[in-house]
Amino acid sequence: MLFLQLLLGGLQTGALYALTACGFALIFGATKVFHFAHGASFTLAGYLFLLMWNNGYPAWLGVLAAILVATGFGVAMERFVYRPIQRHEGGFFTVFVAAFGVSLVVQNLVGMWAGRGFVVADSTLSRATEVLPEVFLAPVFWVSLAVAAVLFLALGLFLTRHPAGVALRALAQNSDLIRAYGLSSHRLSLLAFALGSALAAPAAVLTAITTGMNEAVGHHVMLISMAATIVGGVGSLKGAALAGLSLGVAESVVLNFADPQWAEAASFVVLFGFILFRPSGLFGHAVAR
Amino acid sequence: MTAYLANLATLAAIFGILAATLNVAVGYAGIFSVAHAVFFGLGAYAGAQLALLLVPDALLAMLVAALVAGGLSLCLALPALRVRGEYFVAASLGLQMMATTLFTEAKGLTGGMGGLVGIPRPMVLGFEVPTLALALAALVLILLATWLMARGSFGRTLRAIRDAESAAEALGKNINAAKALAVAFACAGAGVAGALFALHMSFVNVESFTLDQSVLVMAMVIVGGTGTLWGPLLGAVLLLSLPAGLSFLPFIPPTEIGAVQQIIYGAAMTLLMIFRPAGLLGDMRTGRKA
Amino acid sequence: MSGATHPLVCRDLSISFGGVKAVQGVSLALPTGKVLALVGPNGAGKTTLFNLITGNLRADAGEATLDDESLIGLKPWQVARRGVARSFQDLRLFTHMTVRENALAATERGSWFWQTGDAKARAARVEAALEATGLSSLAESRAVDLAYAERKFLSMARILAAEARIWLLDEPASGLDLASRIRFAALLRAATARSVTICLIEHNLDVVAELADEIAFLDRGVVLAVGEPQAILRDKALAAIYFGERVA
Ligand SMILES: Nc1ncnc2c1ncn2[C@@H]1O[C@H](COP(=O)(O)OP(=O)(O)OP(=O)(O)O)[C@@H](O)[C@H]1O
Ligand SMILES: [Mg+2]
Repeated sequence: MLFLQLLLGGLQTGALYALTACGFALIFGATKVFHFAHGASFTLAGYLFLLMWNNGYPAWLGVLAAILVATGFGVAMERFVYRPIQRHEGGFFTVFVAAFGVSLVVQNLVGMWAGRGFVVADSTLSRATEVLPEVFLAPVFWVSLAVAAVLFLALGLFLTRHPAGVALRALAQNSDLIRAYGLSSHRLSLLAFALGSALAAPAAVLTAITTGMNEAVGHHVMLISMAATIVGGVGSLKGAALAGLSLGVAESVVLNFADPQWAEAASFVVLFGFILFRPSGLFGHAVAR
Repeated sequence: MTAYLANLATLAAIFGILAATLNVAVGYAGIFSVAHAVFFGLGAYAGAQLALLLVPDALLAMLVAALVAGGLSLCLALPALRVRGEYFVAASLGLQMMATTLFTEAKGLTGGMGGLVGIPRPMVLGFEVPTLALALAALVLILLATWLMARGSFGRTLRAIRDAESAAEALGKNINAAKALAVAFACAGAGVAGALFALHMSFVNVESFTLDQSVLVMAMVIVGGTGTLWGPLLGAVLLLSLPAGLSFLPFIPPTEIGAVQQIIYGAAMTLLMIFRPAGLLGDMRTGRKA
Repeated sequence: MSGATHPLVCRDLSISFGGVKAVQGVSLALPTGKVLALVGPNGAGKTTLFNLITGNLRADAGEATLDDESLIGLKPWQVARRGVARSFQDLRLFTHMTVRENALAATERGSWFWQTGDAKARAARVEAALEATGLSSLAESRAVDLAYAERKFLSMARILAAEARIWLLDEPASGLDLASRIRFAALLRAATARSVTICLIEHNLDVVAELADEIAFLDRGVVLAVGEPQAILRDKALAAIYFGERVA
């Protein structure tokens, strides 16, 4: 029964990781920007939701605000940080350092303003009941799974049916091609940032009402998203989502048998192994070079 | 006051070594490691254990630290030879996170969170010497070595690889050997800095060897200017004097100094990348394609 | 066809990428001290053939030998150290290094901290290479700051400085004006006079006619003809393929 409990807990975490990772993978695939400040979208969304929740605003308003702030942040990063750097032909490391700088600023501003340490939005959704002998589940488990499922379905439909979605996928496969067809790659990359960042918001809200937020959570989420994107295979959203889910489950299992830091280390052993032995990831085609 | 300044100067020299050696990897070889603190830590633990268990001989400690860190640099060289770009950054991040955990958990070797305490004062040939002198001497030697390297054939090989790897290989250069050597040099240097750090502080624990530290050293290199001789040193001095300078500002509560400092260097990194990617001392023409 | 008269020999080299048979059963031998021109339409597999010889690609079948020793399985730098130098269609200069450093890097084989051999002789080779390519006055300019033709000559200077016995040149003369082409031709003649063996990829048939001692015609990965320049250049069927009037 312990195993089942761990598996379910892992699925819940994993669903949220999958959403965030998918956002990161979408951005990386379509724009080739290694959006290392993706975790900051997550942090901002989670904390804004917490703020509104604790001040008695209705939940839907909090969720909306969270989505808006995450999206706004992603778009602002594209517009004011990444694009200027790319305009003067900055390499990937320039982009990485700039993004890292921003995430440091966000993390510490949030820490100064909201205090350090964990804060949880208290909600009836996270009250666990015994559903099977020795297996406890809170309603938020179903909510997380449902939200993830609905969002993945919607994203899938958008990417296959809507012209802009199709263009995004095409951009992920071959950016020269898209330019040749005269599609505005600037607008598409804004779209990628908006969508990808928005995906982090629901995950952040759900995290805020379950395990809670701390100012460094964005960092952890970012590393997991990056690991999931590479393990899943760059360019494959399915791969990123699946890898995010597996990392969540693995983390939950390891957490039960070892100290928390081993859980994160385990993810990185997996990541390191993939980079060394299968850099194209689970579903990737081209070898990363 | 002199003790305070001597302490600051010693730390500046130690971080100057760290930044200068990271610059060899980042600025010359184009190997963008965010795991430099790992090798700093390896050197620190190796030096500390040597001083605690055998002799507090500074030269021996630095030598052993360089060997340990240089030897284990293979962990970084391996991914550097297989992947590049974002993938290598990700791999080095992974290495950093794994190492932090290992440093915390391998209590027998590192003392875990509690760290290693009571590291004896350093001796050279039986005489006690101030760590400042040791650190400055090591810094000068390492700067000299990087300078010689940068203008010699090895520096040329590394820059050739950075500009056009396949062309360098077509001219008979063993790319893997050159990269592995550059990484080993950088990591061994970080090891030396680590040993000095342990002997200077007479206490080390994992908190000095985390991702934050790696990022701080990276920021030093970038703020000063990658691929330049003096840039990393300037960056080290600037970023180290930041907390000292901030503590003189009355309106910042002491508990927030750490956060304010991180905000300042985070913002500095971002703004520099947007407006002056080559760093303060960098040549604008070369710095762009970092 | 091997050993003394033909130092570099390919036998039945083949490689395909997915469904594309880029090079199929190519057999060629480069005669010592001569220029063999490799001609053929875009996508014929010329660059791929170079990549197979230099170890940048691994052949599916066949082999390439240098002085009867197989090159298959060697890394590009190992092939280079056996005396095979190549240029790239897209040049791949060391863009942020000066012209002199580009040439100097070509003389330095050691990948470690030191170089073996006579440093003075290397420096002299660099100056000679810059002189021969007309780049002496630009020695301190960066490669990025050079004009088009100067870049092409810098790519040649690297090869000259490398002091190889075999040169594999991938469209080194494309886009050069007449004066530059004359200088380029002089470079090749001086090299063959020193018994350097050259394989030259070139689309301009005037250049080919002027420089080639032998022509190999490649199309869709297959060598359709090898022989005297006059014979190949006069062949109507080959001309039809080359100028795109393909019948079949
Ligand atoms: N690494 C590769 N992966 C996949 N296909 C390749 C690769 N290299 C070459 N090809 C394909 O092999 C064929 C031959 O290419 P190659 O570059 O050798 O032609 P080429 O004769 O040099 O042409 P050009 O005159 O345009 O330079 C082309 O169809 C090309 O698309
Ligand atoms: Mg070609």
